[in-house]
Amino acid sequence: MPLDIDRFAKLESPLQRWDPRIKLFTLGIFVFSVALLKTLPIACVAFCLAVGILRLSNLPYDFVASSVKWVIFFLLPFFIIMPLSYPGEAAFYIIGLPFAWEGLQLATLIFIKAVAIILTTFSMFGTARFDVSMIALQHLKCPKILVQMLLFTYRYTFVFIEEMRRMQIAMRARGFVMKTNLKTMQVMGNFVGTLLIRSFERSERVYKAMLSKGYQGELHTMVKFKSEQQDYIKSALVLVTAVIILALDFSGLFLPAKQSWF
Amino acid sequence: MHISDGILSAPVLIAGFIGTVAVAAYTLRQLDLDDIPKVSVITSVFFVASLIHIPIGPSSIHLILGGLVGVVLGIRAFPAIMLGIILQTILFGHGGVTVIGVNTMMLGGGGLMAYAVWQLRHHFNIKKKEMIFGGLAGAMGIFSSGIVLALSLVTTGEEFIATAWYTLIAHIPVMIIEALVVGSCAAFLAKVKPDALAGQLPLAPAVTATAAETTKPSNEDSPK
Repeated sequence: MPLDIDRFAKLESPLQRWDPRIKLFTLGIFVFSVALLKTLPIACVAFCLAVGILRLSNLPYDFVASSVKWVIFFLLPFFIIMPLSYPGEAAFYIIGLPFAWEGLQLATLIFIKAVAIILTTFSMFGTARFDVSMIALQHLKCPKILVQMLLFTYRYTFVFIEEMRRMQIAMRARGFVMKTNLKTMQVMGNFVGTLLIRSFERSERVYKAMLSKGYQGELHTMVKFKSEQQDYIKSALVLVTAVIILALDFSGLFLPAKQSWF
Repeated sequence: MHISDGILSAPVLIAGFIGTVAVAAYTLRQLDLDDIPKVSVITSVFFVASLIHIPIGPSSIHLILGGLVGVVLGIRAFPAIMLGIILQTILFGHGGVTVIGVNTMMLGGGGLMAYAVWQLRHHFNIKKKEMIFGGLAGAMGIFSSGIVLALSLVTTGEEFIATAWYTLIAHIPVMIIEALVVGSCAAFLAKVKPDALAGQLPLAPAVTATAAETTKPSNEDSPK
């Protein structure tokens, strides 16, 4: 799984040129409207829109697929559980278990919506540098303390992944093999504990270094945002589409995947 | 452990956000200036540690460590877990933007419950109590997260009741593994760096004093 979501932030596309503040706000609203959909045809339309937005961003296919395949993997059990456990009329029986088409419909709806939202998340955060996205969030009234902590956590994640790899190599070099037994659990507990102690000591050094550079709880940045007419036009386009799909969804023109959703 | 986008109904999603904002606002206010880098650095360790996979028979599960966050960070576990979930959403697309609230309530709540169990150790005077209560806290973290997950599924609709049961049952092996790992990690930390554990000093000065006394001579011995 790629951890550096902003690897392709330098690509040139309408999404990368979009003012991050307006982009995050607009696509955020779009994501929420997709989450509220309850009819299959409209969910398919939303899915196509999400794919379209992602295609505009020029993000490489492999990069997106490597994350999305895990999400799909986690969603697959729904296709088995939902049809077999749906209360109500069973269409037919499989080895004594009732199979309901409504359940399959519901599972499909969940699947399509979840994948659409994940693709949109890539368009939101894959198209600008991580720190730029975070500062854009701060402009959108996200608490300052939260933004700072997100930036720190993101930065140190890479440091500790390296640290963990080194420790794992050291363990393997000494002949440790993970098994399903008490010893492994104990060793892993100590492993996490060692990682924690190292991080404690590192965080103290980091804090002292920050203090000596004049840290007083504020984050100063050279990132400047500039919004033009184009940015607002893009935003209006997406927002109007979001309203249209929500309106169509609630209009009753299409049958919900399940009658009493709320 | 998290729930994906597109499953839960709007009222459940909104309830998750309201709960998260309320608890996060309270716990973030408890943070001092020097907590900001500290909590974030430790959050990234937990984030990394949750990538560790432990084999169970032919398959494997990854550590969640929500309970250990509670044991190490105390009340600050809630904002830490929220950070982890937001980061996971942004980086992997796991979970999703709309379920940040529900997922934070699920795992962050588990962290707080684990801390509550961990604090109970002060009322007992037994050997290896860090290991026992660490293990209980680890199990509690997963248990209460599983309950919140099941509740959020059941309140979305009755067709999810069976799914809720399956997820609860699937959490039992996770609970056992987490209990063992968190228990031995807590015992390790109590031995090596007791002030890394939450709720050590203010509640039981006597306990940490004895711990400091016992560690001191061993430190002096080691250079020989």
